[in-house]
Amino acid sequence: MPVDVTLPQLGESTYEGTIGKWLKHPGDRIERFEPLVEIITDKVNVEMPAPYGGVLSAILIPEGQTVPVGTPIAVMETPEMAAERPAAGMPSTGTGVDIPQDRSRSPEAERLRLSPVVRKLADEHGLPLEEVARLPGSGAGGRVTKEDVLKYVETRHATGPGAPAVAAPRATPAPPGLHPGDQLVKLTPLRRSIAQRMAQSKREIPHAYGVIEVDMTALVRWRDAHKEEWRGREGVNITYTAFFVRAAVEALRAFPLVNSSWSEDGIIMRQAVNTGIGIALDDGLIVAVIKQADRKPLVEIARELEALGRRAREGTLTLDEVQGGTFTITNPGVFGSIWSMPIIVPGQAAMLVTDAIVKRPVARDDAIVLREIMHLGLSFDHRIFDGAVADRFLTHIRQKLESAPGGDAAPNDF
Amino acid sequence: MPDPYDLIVIGGGPGGYVGAIRAAQLGLRVALVEREKVGGTCLHIGCIPTKAMLHTAELLEHLKDPRELGLSVDSVAVDLLAVQRRKARVVDQLHKGVQSLMRKNKIDVFIGEGRFLSTTKIGAALADGSETELTGKHLLVATGSAPRTVPGIAFDHTRIIDSTDALNLEAVPRSIAILGAGPVGVEFASLFRAFGSEVTVIELLPTLVPLEDEEIGQALERGFSRRGIKVLTQATAKSAEVASNRVKITVGRGDQLSALEAEYLLVAVGRAPVTDGLAVAEAGVSLEKGAVKVDGQFRTTAANIYAIGDVLTGQAPFRLAHVASDEAIAAVETIAGQRTHTPNYDTVPRPTFCIPQVATVGLSERQAKERGRDVKVGRFSFQANSKATIEGSREGLVKVVTDAKIGELLGIHMIGPGVTELLAEGVAAKYLEATVAELGMAVHSHPTLSEALKEAALDAMGRVIHM
Repeated sequence: MPVDVTLPQLGESTYEGTIGKWLKHPGDRIERFEPLVEIITDKVNVEMPAPYGGVLSAILIPEGQTVPVGTPIAVMETPEMAAERPAAGMPSTGTGVDIPQDRSRSPEAERLRLSPVVRKLADEHGLPLEEVARLPGSGAGGRVTKEDVLKYVETRHATGPGAPAVAAPRATPAPPGLHPGDQLVKLTPLRRSIAQRMAQSKREIPHAYGVIEVDMTALVRWRDAHKEEWRGREGVNITYTAFFVRAAVEALRAFPLVNSSWSEDGIIMRQAVNTGIGIALDDGLIVAVIKQADRKPLVEIARELEALGRRAREGTLTLDEVQGGTFTITNPGVFGSIWSMPIIVPGQAAMLVTDAIVKRPVARDDAIVLREIMHLGLSFDHRIFDGAVADRFLTHIRQKLESAPGGDAAPNDF
Repeated sequence: MPDPYDLIVIGGGPGGYVGAIRAAQLGLRVALVEREKVGGTCLHIGCIPTKAMLHTAELLEHLKDPRELGLSVDSVAVDLLAVQRRKARVVDQLHKGVQSLMRKNKIDVFIGEGRFLSTTKIGAALADGSETELTGKHLLVATGSAPRTVPGIAFDHTRIIDSTDALNLEAVPRSIAILGAGPVGVEFASLFRAFGSEVTVIELLPTLVPLEDEEIGQALERGFSRRGIKVLTQATAKSAEVASNRVKITVGRGDQLSALEAEYLLVAVGRAPVTDGLAVAEAGVSLEKGAVKVDGQFRTTAANIYAIGDVLTGQAPFRLAHVASDEAIAAVETIAGQRTHTPNYDTVPRPTFCIPQVATVGLSERQAKERGRDVKVGRFSFQANSKATIEGSREGLVKVVTDAKIGELLGIHMIGPGVTELLAEGVAAKYLEATVAELGMAVHSHPTLSEALKEAALDAMGRVIHM
């Protein structure tokens, strides 16, 4: 019997992937874990290793086609199985049916094992059959039954798509009415993923917000005076974002509750401080993660930020670089925003936002002076902690940013 | 001390013995304790013997007018003792079959009365008077049920009888009153009427086979009346007295009382779970209204003890032999950690072997509406079916109840010739979650009775051909 190779789950919110390039061809002998195929998802491009050793007997999904997670994409013969059957590529003996080829010919939706009632219900509720086929089936042999679909429809109604009970839900299916001249822009996988995650977060997390003013004057002066010199010495542009990350991770160490995750069983305190950074792309936004950011000096953080940003724009981020974030920082200030209220990444407790640094007249010692002012905001999950923690957390960051060493201090002294 | 069994099954009926076989297939070491004979009520005093006798009754019905069939027969008469002997042969043959299945699957069968000594120990009083003690990691209670009666009427097993007594009558009764028009009541009514008895059926509810779709009950009542069976619905027997080999029954119908006399009164009002002598309390197994209490996985209040089948009477719907088998398979697969399915009572077939036969699966029209379904009904009469005409059995109909919007098959209800066999197609269709379209569009052989099922489905789609 041949073994199906299925599209693996690549990341928490991935539900489909596009076949990039087949690195092996039918008939090729492959070691286990040898790269088999390039998979492009909404987040990352990965080389998928072969799950078994053996011979690739058939490719079921051609390059460029997008299929849901769990779809068989290829058929392999493991060595002990291959012995019993003619090797791939050999003329058929005429006794057996060439299952792989038959499979590749049959239309995708027809192959799904769904009963007539299930198909009708899917139609009725506007669910794509592929989505229904991915539901955990309670019927014989894991078949998706009428009850499973009805339950799914109910959870969708109750909690909308993104409910954790189901494998990979989609965003709202029904397109709004198009008026003459209107255009329907198809959702890219990235757009769809963002939509689903944002909607899920706003639906499930009671967001609360805190904003404070930070006087960035000392830091701006220090950085302006040295940034060219630092670039020459360290080989990297030390951005404000690097300072924000550095200040934030110290505050996270001081307020571990902000580096946590809500669950019905209790609050999960994250041991690692993995800081995600929102990176704007042409068609969306991706969050790349600096792992163990609390253990890294400023220059290293700046270097990682630069590398992650470049790879995000090139579309070459690895799976590892977009997973495992425990806290996220977003910096819309670079686009001029002065007051933002971001949506928390599902599974995290808070998101820090740094807005534009703007010269403002402020009162200092009963005189009005011009200072470099920035709004520093925190969106937080009010189930986990309250405003007092948020404000103390922000204040901790403010004190760090306002006490930039200045002078000839090295960046790592920050 | 011998090794404990992986599973001890108490009760060797169609629940217990099937569960024992499935457990053995899954590699468990199994013992089965049965107080009489493997095969249980079903094989020895239930399904099988009644149907053996009803087979003769159906043939007799076909031979009412042999000349019309082109047969020249001097006379057709019933020899009840010969019918009994044939019944015994059928039962014996099937009993040997079950016994050999027990041997084939290496199941240790202990014939004797089992009772709990603890959560893992069963004492069995063997037929030879000795007592043995068995230890099992898991236990399955499959002790079944027994006929019950109603207040005011007590079995004397001579004139006021239960179904077991009715199977063993030595002569065809001149008259018999039957209390209860469920499956047992209407089957015996058909049997005795075919054999020549004067039969009166007394039913509390408004229709015969009251748990089925009303239309089916009404059609059966017409079929009974045609055959000369007296039907008293919305009536009950208040009391019964035996005097000089006759039973005097007081029948209450509304406020009115009337007297009815018959040679026998067969009480067929239902069955009650059998737990007496089992000492369930010793094992921490709780009862609820006499039935063993189980969860959705057939686990009793003792974690390693399961129960299935008729001993759950009152707690789970449709106490039928094949339901017990299905539940037993689910239970032992759970025990073996290899559960494949959860019994789905919506797809359980409910055949009744009265004359004419009744066969149903799923929801009646009324039940479907009560569940808030927008229903569409299709019907087809056997009068318009060619094979029914060939067989000279043109009474009855097929009714399909479907969801108006998506065509889901909600219920299939049939009365007429051979419908207990036709039912299998309806069950498969429902199990596979077919819609009325699949049933209506699939090609059915011509000429067969099954065409009536196809046509009823087409009728629900508004496109019946032969009517």
